[in-house]
Amino acid sequence: MALSCDAYRELAAIVGERYISSKQHILAGNRVKTPEIPFEYHSPDAILLPGSTEEVAAIVKVCNKYGISFIPFVSGVLPDAYANREGTVLIHLKRMNRILEINEEDRYAVIEPGVRHVQLYPEVRKRGLSYTAASVGPGGSVLANFTSTSGDHHTQYGTSRANRYLLSVEMVTPEGEILRTGSLPSGCGWFCPDGPGPGLRSIVRGYFGSHGQLGIITKAAIGLEACKGPAEYRTEGISPHHRVIFDSDLSRVYVFNYDNIQKVCDAMLALGEAEVCSTVQKYFYLPLTLLMTDSANDFWKKWTGGYKEAMSMPLVVHIAAQSLREREYEEKILFDVVRETGGVRLPEELENWWSEHMDFFMVVSRLQSVLRLGGGWMPLKLGADSVQHVCDVGQSIGEYIYEFTETGKIFDAPENYQIIPMEYGHFAHIELLFMWDRTNPAAMKGVGEFRARSRQEDLRRHFHAEDLGCLNPTMEELGPLYSNCHIWMRKIKESFDPNDVANPML
Amino acid sequence: MHYPENTRQVEAIIQNARKIKTPLVARSSRGPHLHGASENPIAETVDFSCMNRIIKIDRRSRYVRVEPGVTFGELIPLLKDAGMRLNMPLLPRAGKSVVASALEREAVLIPKYQYDYTDPLLTVEAVFGTGDVFRTGSAAGPGSPEETRADMVLPWGPGCVDYLRFFTGAQGTMGFVTWATLKTEVLPSLSKLYFVQAASAEKLTCLANTLLRRRIPDECVILSRVSFAAAFAEDAAEEDKLLSTLAPWVMLCRICGFERYPEERLSIYEGYLKEVCAEAGLEAVPEVSALPGLADKVETKITDCDRRKTYWKLRRGGVREIDMLCPPSRAPRLITLLENLSCPGAVGITVQPQVLGRAFRIECSVFFSGDPTETEQVEKALEDVSRQLFEAGAYFDRPYGKLSKIAFESDPVSTEAIRKLKRIFDPDGILNPGKLCF
Repeated sequence: MALSCDAYRELAAIVGERYISSKQHILAGNRVKTPEIPFEYHSPDAILLPGSTEEVAAIVKVCNKYGISFIPFVSGVLPDAYANREGTVLIHLKRMNRILEINEEDRYAVIEPGVRHVQLYPEVRKRGLSYTAASVGPGGSVLANFTSTSGDHHTQYGTSRANRYLLSVEMVTPEGEILRTGSLPSGCGWFCPDGPGPGLRSIVRGYFGSHGQLGIITKAAIGLEACKGPAEYRTEGISPHHRVIFDSDLSRVYVFNYDNIQKVCDAMLALGEAEVCSTVQKYFYLPLTLLMTDSANDFWKKWTGGYKEAMSMPLVVHIAAQSLREREYEEKILFDVVRETGGVRLPEELENWWSEHMDFFMVVSRLQSVLRLGGGWMPLKLGADSVQHVCDVGQSIGEYIYEFTETGKIFDAPENYQIIPMEYGHFAHIELLFMWDRTNPAAMKGVGEFRARSRQEDLRRHFHAEDLGCLNPTMEELGPLYSNCHIWMRKIKESFDPNDVANPML
Repeated sequence: MHYPENTRQVEAIIQNARKIKTPLVARSSRGPHLHGASENPIAETVDFSCMNRIIKIDRRSRYVRVEPGVTFGELIPLLKDAGMRLNMPLLPRAGKSVVASALEREAVLIPKYQYDYTDPLLTVEAVFGTGDVFRTGSAAGPGSPEETRADMVLPWGPGCVDYLRFFTGAQGTMGFVTWATLKTEVLPSLSKLYFVQAASAEKLTCLANTLLRRRIPDECVILSRVSFAAAFAEDAAEEDKLLSTLAPWVMLCRICGFERYPEERLSIYEGYLKEVCAEAGLEAVPEVSALPGLADKVETKITDCDRRKTYWKLRRGGVREIDMLCPPSRAPRLITLLENLSCPGAVGITVQPQVLGRAFRIECSVFFSGDPTETEQVEKALEDVSRQLFEAGAYFDRPYGKLSKIAFESDPVSTEAIRKLKRIFDPDGILNPGKLCF
């Protein structure tokens, strides 16, 4: 369905002809790009590039008037950011890319959706501050990470997940009203997400964001922390063969390998109780080997030449202390814990890679190299609970993944999951990343089978291994097992989006 | 009055109230009830004192799950036995419900453990005004609490809505909580309390901002000397002694060491504290000479609840309070307005850094005789200053009584959106009607 002439004219009047397109080649270029995902995706009917909150609100009002579905778009990483039915427009927010404020004293920044990590992170870092930059690479939208996507990142052990730092926001409701949450509407600034009373932060994001179903967030404030590690760092070489180095005695990276996830769990909890180390995580060994190599051939040589075994369950630890004495104190505890839990320090050749790639602990600038093998990849689970619980989830993967790895349906890397604790071990997140050969029809079929099996095994064990997203068929299916949240979500959506135009998925 | 003993009974009470159109108000704490959120003359009271089970204390994953009738007086010793502690308010009364305190977003003493304003609250089970049971975050499922293998500690979700936040600051208007999971922290193996005195609050708010950026202290709170004396004196004579000896403002700052190498941690962090204080032209000292043994007494009190016969805020007979949030930069201006408050009694001010020090909760308590004429004068003075505070940037995030009007009138769009949510979870408006903007 193409837009009616009247609708197109009204939309064009809002943004100007330059910032709207319904040309087929433009629209086709903005379809979902992952063919293995078993949904039907459409080209949008138009793409609009608003320049302000007021323009977004006006667009949404026109969409309501003509019954046009709309989807906010900025990084385009998730399939939910693309048209899933006819009669949909994409509201691309990339022009709204201003850093509106960095408040050093009160430690927050106010940003628009188009601000990328590469834009914001250096600005706050040079002020001695930092934020929880999700592990999506420098091109990701900061606002999307805080309000919509999972937002998990490598340094959340000593801090927390991005949504914990989301403060007041300005958003356009599904009916086109401009809404401000938390302390903002009281004229008290951006610092507080909650209240008055229960407030509206509840509908801004839960575990994930609503992907536009409950509104489009056009400005957000995020909390900043003092940066862990030096504010200045040294870079060498040219991307992708560059190195990022902390020239500081206060910063050290150690990597230990384990043979048992329960021992990893013990180590994480012991370090958390002692409140030492800045980063602690069990990383995936497959992307790690890809990060450490320069080509697919190099990867295969090293993967089969011992990297797989040497780093089967790596516990990555970054110490960022405030004094030499504190660093030594933290090291002493770290080595005690590792000794008690049976960790083995990685050979120098492997461990040194980390000290030369400290961007891993800031904004991961080489993430694209994990796609080097050219196959398909997909994250699974993505849930969180206590460190113990997610380690139990991780341990269970070994009980069923072999049926898929041994038949060649997915890459043979059974321990390829990461666990990142948060808040010094109060919670942890798990992500199982699996890869497959896109040229193999059996493997393509196996993708769906493995996804289904992973979920089925978690449900059978009553594991909280995944959370639900927005109001979509999965939520309708699983909602009855999750406190009937599908019913409540439906009621909330109906109340705020009576015309069902805000990224409908049912 | 209703005295439910379990969730099923709470469901039945709410379902019946819907049928007969009878308003309900929840009460979990033992008196006195200072803010009036749990009092509603047109509603029947649902008293949760019989739902007082401590469901689980988990040392490994550091949490506790309790019913709303569990009080600080009961829980603190049990957690201590398990090697843990709560991040709790300054000297709550022993009969205060732990769950109610967290739901009300009361200020906590250890800002470095508070990542979000809802901390230390993690998950809840609640019955909405519709009579339906719901569990938040990773307590939602899959399956029932009896079936799930999760620790039910993750606060967010399920899905794209942060359901926990419907219940915080809501004064029981969205649903009644039947149990809650709260984050607990490891009990220090070693600790040392420091006092930093200053003539102006601003010196100490700036100091707190720097200290918390570096996550140096555990407990960190700034008190005017009136509040300090009210909280820690045992009688009028001690109170007078403190008032005449202390500087106008005192910061309490506790440094802790844990199981592994506690002396070393303590020594390192003491060094940081002294260094930061010296840079600010202040001095952190382990004792103040006002009263013998004061440091030990203060440290004991800030790690416990108020177990004295008369609650510390009521020693003079009456108290009226307002509290607000602000970012660090705005605190000095608001404190000055409160320092100039003129009314009967003594004006005490407590400034508590929150959420890793990115916000301060300022509480103003007027301690007076409780005489009806004075009550009227104090309430009038607080009402007047509230408007000035609001204009100066105070954020009344959990408004009680007349403050609700100020808090909600400034933005009709967001107020209407909150009412929309209320209509979903309490369609008949039976839960604590008349409170907030409902």
